[in-house]
Amino acid sequence: MHFGVITMLALRNLRRNLRRTILTATAFIIGGALLTFAQTFGDGTHEQWIDSGVRTGSGHVTVEVPEFRVSRKIEDRLPGGTLQLVRKAVESSAAADRVTDVFYRLTINGLATSASGARPAQILGVDPTIEASLSPLDEQVVEGRYLKKDDRLAAFVGAGLVDALDLRIGSRLVVMAQDAHKEVAGQLVRVVGIFRTGIAELDDSVIHVPIATAGEWLGTGRDLTNVGVMVDSSVAVPGLVRHLRRELAEPIAKGDATVMGWREAMPSLHAAVLVDEWGGYLMLGILFVIVGFSIINTVLMSVLHRHREFGVLQALGLTPRQTASVVLVEGLLQTVVCALIGVGVGLAITAAFSGGIDISELYNDQEMQFSGVAIDPVIVPMVTPVRILYILGFMMFVGIVSSVYPAMRAATIDVTESMKFER
Amino acid sequence: MSESNGYAVRTAGVWKIFQQEAEEVQAVRDVSLTIERGEFTALAGPSGSGKTTLLNLIGGLTRPTRGEIWVAGSELGALSNRELAQLRLEEVGFVFQAYNLLPVLSALENAEFPMLLQGTPAAERAARVQELFERTGMTGLEDRRPGKLSGGQQQRVAVVRAVASQPALVLADEPTANLDSHASEALLDMMAELNRELGVTFVFATHDGHVMERSRRLVRMVDGAIDSDETRS
Ligand SMILES: Nc1ncnc2c1ncn2[C@@H]1O[C@H](COP(=O)(O)OP(=O)(O)OP(=O)(O)O)[C@@H](O)[C@H]1O
Ligand SMILES: [Mg+2]
Repeated sequence: MHFGVITMLALRNLRRNLRRTILTATAFIIGGALLTFAQTFGDGTHEQWIDSGVRTGSGHVTVEVPEFRVSRKIEDRLPGGTLQLVRKAVESSAAADRVTDVFYRLTINGLATSASGARPAQILGVDPTIEASLSPLDEQVVEGRYLKKDDRLAAFVGAGLVDALDLRIGSRLVVMAQDAHKEVAGQLVRVVGIFRTGIAELDDSVIHVPIATAGEWLGTGRDLTNVGVMVDSSVAVPGLVRHLRRELAEPIAKGDATVMGWREAMPSLHAAVLVDEWGGYLMLGILFVIVGFSIINTVLMSVLHRHREFGVLQALGLTPRQTASVVLVEGLLQTVVCALIGVGVGLAITAAFSGGIDISELYNDQEMQFSGVAIDPVIVPMVTPVRILYILGFMMFVGIVSSVYPAMRAATIDVTESMKFER
Repeated sequence: MSESNGYAVRTAGVWKIFQQEAEEVQAVRDVSLTIERGEFTALAGPSGSGKTTLLNLIGGLTRPTRGEIWVAGSELGALSNRELAQLRLEEVGFVFQAYNLLPVLSALENAEFPMLLQGTPAAERAARVQELFERTGMTGLEDRRPGKLSGGQQQRVAVVRAVASQPALVLADEPTANLDSHASEALLDMMAELNRELGVTFVFATHDGHVMERSRRLVRMVDGAIDSDETRS
């Protein structure tokens, strides 16, 4: 196939047209750097969404009873010991070192009542120590404090609910819900802290109480409604879900448990991430169609200027296909090198921003929220090998595709015409 | 393959007609010609008489409108473009009227290019080209790019490129057009020697009296057709 000869010719031609080569290369490198930065920044943004989402929600991976998601009733709770089972499964997982927390909650829908009235409420029995390190809510205190380890009859209440029920720090309120015996049970608690996230869904309905208090109130002892697992990067989620499903095969088969990744557990968050990703792809697609056409243009120009050369190559014994590959190899060499440099530059830019980029100014002090999730405005770009490989692959694809047409032109020239003697 | 037939080239009733706007140009008209292996033949004729077109047809660079051409035992019409390329690479050396050196390669690299494609070892390539460069007065210009060579020098590189790989057939279009009589004698000496010693078949298209004189056979073309065909003893 004369690969060595073809490569040599390609290299020589790239060097001969150094100015054109550098121009094309620069366009490609800038495109690649932008692409890389945009993607790592986008992935970082999404990771942020996911992280905030799973913290307020049910974790990167959640284990619960299948019906619980819809019913939110105490009867759909996990049998005792599930927490231990999940802990053990997590420890035996390949992703064990990526797991940052295993937490548990007793979550139910109920009613909050005070002297001023009653409001539907989402009541979460939580372990205050774990929750303080996990949930962003404890950082949104506007008055009082978050729950503490030895709290008993304490409640941490959303500001909207506080207003509606005319409460203040120290006020008493009664939370009511169906208990383990299917009877309505009430529990008196005292407001120790008030939070405001700016997100109505949370502020108007969420109440945290210590899980021990909730267990006594509802007669569920140490049972839980959901066990959540947090990992340091969402990349680890699919593997962990598979592993937990294997390990918990027995309760799952009995219908006592289900394992969900955040995508299933928080479908609206997943959809938001997807929509944003595809919006990004579309933009980048357009960027690269433009870059691609400028490459087609320069490569085609160079082919048209070199008709005689391609004629000579064929006259000397290169087949049309080999002649085409001279052009393709030229495009390929340039593309590979530029893609690597471009991604390298992009990664360098990304590294320069590894401390995070504060985008809060873009939002004019408004709280950033996403399907009921408060979001940290400092975005840390995220680099994953898969993403980098995709970018390299995509750029090479664009580079090669844009050399195909010029290569075909080089292969199909009229040999004698191209080599004509001009007097 | 050429051993099984006595001839190097045979054409039978070959026509090449170009469509020039509304007008038809009959560049080659009904040429039937047999060239034996080891011949040293000149094609002469006025400008536009079809010499270049005939050489291009024989070299398989263009296909005839009508008629058949055999080279090295193969009928060119039966070969695919790929097979034609292979045949050129292995059997045919070209000297083009416009030299047609590759601009990105040095004189030496141009001259050894067909051998490079054939996979000839580097040492052998260098040895053959060096020797031919010496004989054509090109020593010292090995590393120059064609753009930095005179017309005559480019022509000599083109001739060396055509013969260095020792093809069975060399088709040379005006190989001496830009050379003074001394340089053109040197080239002709070299080609005559390759012809004598290795039995390489040479077909020249030429206006040059020297070349015609030194050829053993002289085919004259007029308006695309063979006008006369003489072989000297
Ligand atoms: N591609 C082409 N299209 C149209 N006409 C052509 C083409 N190539 C050659 N011709 C015509 O065919 C005729 C023969 O041309 P050719 O180049 O073979 O002549 P030649 O004998 O080599 O002339 P010269 O001595 O000037 O090189 C000329 O009339 C020329 O104009
Ligand atoms: Mg001619």
